[in-house]
Amino acid sequence: MILEALIAFTFLAALVVLLAPDAWAGRLAFALSAVPFAGSLYAWSQFDGAGNALTGGTIAFESQFEWIEVGGRSVSWFVGLDGISLPLVVLTTFLVPLAIVSAWTPIDTRQSQFYGLMLFMEANLLGVFTALDFFLWFVFWEAVLVPMYFLIGVWGGPRRKYAAIKFFVYTNAASLLMFIGFMSLVFALGDSVSSFALPEITAAIANGGLGEWFGIAPGTVALGAFLAMFAGFAVKVPVVPVHTWLPDAHVEAPTPVSVLLAGVLLKMGTYALLRYNFTMLPNQASALAIPIAAIAVISVIYGAMLALAQKDLKRIVAYSSVSSMGYVILGLVVFTEYGVGGATFQMVAHGLISGLMFMAVGVVYNATHTRMVGDMAGMADRMPITVGILVAGAFGYMGLPLMAGFAGEFFIFVGAFGAPSLPYAPAFTALAMFGIVIVAGYLLSAMQKTLFGPFRLETDYEVGRAPVHDVAPLAVLLAAIIVLGVAPDVFFEMIRDAAIPVVEGVSADV
Amino acid sequence: MVNAFAYVPAVVLLPFVSFLVALGAGRYLPKGGAFGGIAATAGSFLLSVWVAATVAGGRAYNETVYTWAGGDQFELTFGLLVDPLSALMLVIVTLVALLVHVFSLGYMNDEGETGLPRYYAGLGLFTASMLGFVVADNLLMAFMFFELVGLCSYLLIGFHFREPGPPSAAKKAFLVTRFGDYFFLVGVVAVFATFGTAAFAGDGSFPALAEAALEGSADVWTPGGLELGTWLTVVGLLVLGGVVGKSAQFPLHTWLPDAMEGPTPVSALIHAATMVAAGVYLVARMYGFYALTPTTLGVIAFIGGFTALFAATMGVVKDELKQVLAYSTISQYGYMMLALGAGGYVAAVFHLTTHAFFKALLFLGAGSVIIAMHHNEDMWDMGGLKSKLPVTYYTFLAGSLALAGIFPFAGFWSKDEVLYEALVHGLNDPLLLGGYLMGLLAVPVTAFYTFRMVFLTFHGDPRTETARDPEPVRWNVKGPLMVLGTLAVGTGLINMVPVQKVFGLEGIDYLHRWLDNEWGGIAGLSSHHYADIGPYSSGYLVGGETGTVLVGAAVSLGLALAGLGLAWRFYNVASPTEHTAALGGIKDVLYNNYYLDELQVWIAYRTADIAGGADTFDQGIIDGVVNGISSVSLAGGGRIRRIQTGVVSEYAAMLTLGLIALLVVLGVGGGWFL
Repeated sequence: MILEALIAFTFLAALVVLLAPDAWAGRLAFALSAVPFAGSLYAWSQFDGAGNALTGGTIAFESQFEWIEVGGRSVSWFVGLDGISLPLVVLTTFLVPLAIVSAWTPIDTRQSQFYGLMLFMEANLLGVFTALDFFLWFVFWEAVLVPMYFLIGVWGGPRRKYAAIKFFVYTNAASLLMFIGFMSLVFALGDSVSSFALPEITAAIANGGLGEWFGIAPGTVALGAFLAMFAGFAVKVPVVPVHTWLPDAHVEAPTPVSVLLAGVLLKMGTYALLRYNFTMLPNQASALAIPIAAIAVISVIYGAMLALAQKDLKRIVAYSSVSSMGYVILGLVVFTEYGVGGATFQMVAHGLISGLMFMAVGVVYNATHTRMVGDMAGMADRMPITVGILVAGAFGYMGLPLMAGFAGEFFIFVGAFGAPSLPYAPAFTALAMFGIVIVAGYLLSAMQKTLFGPFRLETDYEVGRAPVHDVAPLAVLLAAIIVLGVAPDVFFEMIRDAAIPVVEGVSADV
Repeated sequence: MVNAFAYVPAVVLLPFVSFLVALGAGRYLPKGGAFGGIAATAGSFLLSVWVAATVAGGRAYNETVYTWAGGDQFELTFGLLVDPLSALMLVIVTLVALLVHVFSLGYMNDEGETGLPRYYAGLGLFTASMLGFVVADNLLMAFMFFELVGLCSYLLIGFHFREPGPPSAAKKAFLVTRFGDYFFLVGVVAVFATFGTAAFAGDGSFPALAEAALEGSADVWTPGGLELGTWLTVVGLLVLGGVVGKSAQFPLHTWLPDAMEGPTPVSALIHAATMVAAGVYLVARMYGFYALTPTTLGVIAFIGGFTALFAATMGVVKDELKQVLAYSTISQYGYMMLALGAGGYVAAVFHLTTHAFFKALLFLGAGSVIIAMHHNEDMWDMGGLKSKLPVTYYTFLAGSLALAGIFPFAGFWSKDEVLYEALVHGLNDPLLLGGYLMGLLAVPVTAFYTFRMVFLTFHGDPRTETARDPEPVRWNVKGPLMVLGTLAVGTGLINMVPVQKVFGLEGIDYLHRWLDNEWGGIAGLSSHHYADIGPYSSGYLVGGETGTVLVGAAVSLGLALAGLGLAWRFYNVASPTEHTAALGGIKDVLYNNYYLDELQVWIAYRTADIAGGADTFDQGIIDGVVNGISSVSLAGGGRIRRIQTGVVSEYAAMLTLGLIALLVVLGVGGGWFL
């Protein structure tokens, strides 16, 4: 019942904060958000899952209640964790309190609503990562969009409405596509499934339960479903060419919202890809390995080139997310232990690192009120600790060893290079790896221009050090990044355990 | 009995602790944390000596100590590999780091620098990273510390971050070496994919597996059915990318002269014992692999020989003391690469050792001059410092004689052996002979620029007020200089191969015996083994081996003396003048480093242009299509405008309603409610 408690508490907390006075909503939200984090740590300590939740592994904290029946198939409240979802749950509950603290300085209107929505989003995110029934999952999946939409649309920058609507329409259209794709699978499975439970559907597909659907051959249905779901999730990740909502959303979103958007929301896309596309339909994924790998490589290199062209610090970090998520796609498509495991690890690592980068850029912005590279120089002189952590975070983004990003990227690379199921794997891998040079190029030059050299910033006030509550979350994140970089096995061991069945799903047929 | 190997982690961790202490509490400590750094490196040095003595006692150590990430395919681990090579390197690195720490008291603290905790934290981390790299037992761990070394160089080169120059130089250093490291990382990944392990030593190590696979007694993965030998060459060249970057070999040498923006003691550390040495050390560490791929060896030798000559020519026209030294570093590492490529494993390690001492000496000597000159580095503003700074002068002279390769200073012995190896193996291999000739040609150039530097700085009449009345330096500067001066004179004694060959004195080639596991070591990591699996055979000139030794030494010494003589003729006068005008247009080319920096800047700008084009494409085409679709659909439904109220909550309600409607439609269509 711990997962129910976790989700229910977070919903309640959202409600309480929503009704609290603005003056101390931020403090209250932080205090309340610490509880789900503690809860997820407890869940981690009690974790007894083994294997993959979808492929018949032991599901930790499994709980299932019949809910309603739709078209002869039961919809149930069905939640549980495995080695892939637990790290993402921990990531979510870890990032939200930090994001809340980072909001104390920049958010100065309608605080109770802001923090309430943040917690409401957290509750739904926890639902996304724990739900094992399609309908339940889909409700959470869609419900995440609502608080996000408001958080950008109300507290965002000058073009917040454009960005919020673009975000909502774009991702909602994608959801529709994905929904149709999944439903076609369910229909084609016919009587071989009696519920929307993901493990049951996965098993039915693996056992050849797909039948004809409106006269379409099973193989074609599977392929069509794969493509529809891939396109739908690709928007969320996002991969090139459906990435353009991301920079707009990030630039307009306030810092704490960007932290969660980059840190957790993007992982919904890769998580769903892993669960639906790569676990349920591994053979379709494998058949499409070359185009998918090509998309991954293009996302890495093209995303990095776009980051190189930006003049706004936040846009730079936003585009580099596109690049980093490309690595995740590459890791997934190679179907090796290190590839799929590394992709999952990279989700967590990128969540922490991009969270840190957005937060640190936000702290600088609080002081400068500009994010344009040309407007400032020598910030290290005025904000030494913030800049020190920002530099460390940037090196983390560049994949400096003994930081989490390197671990994730290296696992993916080493898993991808010799992958038997992807033709030309060494070439794809080597091309994608060139991203590590470009990322160093744009981050180092942006840092050189803004952080170093003689101090320059036109203001009518004195730029001083950031308050402790701005810097503390940065330090906490940096520490987490280093811990995961030095000892990746704290997560990687369980991730691997859940990733191996995914890998075996394809190698059985190839 | 207490086991020295149990303390190997402490060798690495002591400087790391000094990093933490300086970073966290440096500002509350006397001298900004300097004493912590000195104590830590001194401790590491003593432990390293003990470790080396234990290796000399016939033991070696090769253990996995930490599993970084487990896996069924292969495990990614950290381990320690202590054999004669790494033990020697530990002693060199810790000794130079210790002396640099002591010297920094004079160069940084006495000069009133700010930010000292950050400085000493950087030095500590730099030393720790390098030591971690040295003891690494596998290629992945080596790569990780290799990158950390790069980070530290970034932090220390950019130490004076409030000025415009150092941050730019730091960026360039990291970026250029990162470019090389990209190839290295691909190489690491390829090694894992090919062999399933990246261990350096033991029966299951990748050099051993490569050897077995070439003999046909083991099976390894190659991509796309590529021929094994070709693939191993590709892997070797990929790893070499990292070496070329870090060891500043052509064409990735451009970061190194710029790196002179860092504080001078840092330059000493980078050039003598850490970052630049890391590249060459890596080739030596996995020499059992390189020896299997003749093409790679040829490339290494050629790059080395070319870089030795190429960098030396640029050193001839520089005006600033540290710039001359920077180009000499590039050139000297070229010699080491030449030796490695020519099968002269011991010669390379020998030159690495002597160079570490004499180059650290020269940089610290230059630092002493810079203190005396109130941080003016232009040699044309100096002159006549010989009488004012006698300790600096005589130690600097010893270092210069070693650098120029003058008998009997340390550099003579090691450079002579490098050239000898290239010659005897090159007599059967034209490409290698080309490398040898370039290396030989660099000898007089080296002697010339070295003594041009010495004469301009210390001889003649003082050319400025500062040079007439230089600032005195203290014990913390003189002490390290004297230690290193002694080593620059005497290190040649560890490997008197020519003397042995000419006079038949058996057993005085101590370094050869050391690296051949004569006292102890790990099977498969010995110079004999490398020679056995290597592709080279020796050829001799007239007079057989002895004759070739004598002729080779005489030629290189003669050329060095000729270069020295020319410098004497031009610059050892009361008021020297620039003679570079005689070079005409060549001078500009040399002074501008063959315009390679401009080329790299051009590449950077073109990359930025491409990025700008991509951005325009992204905003205009891709996002344009997205916005176009949405505006078409909006325009198409004019009536829908009525619901465009602009109230955010109504939109959300609408979208939620839409979703429900969709579910209903799908449900009815799918026959769920029937």
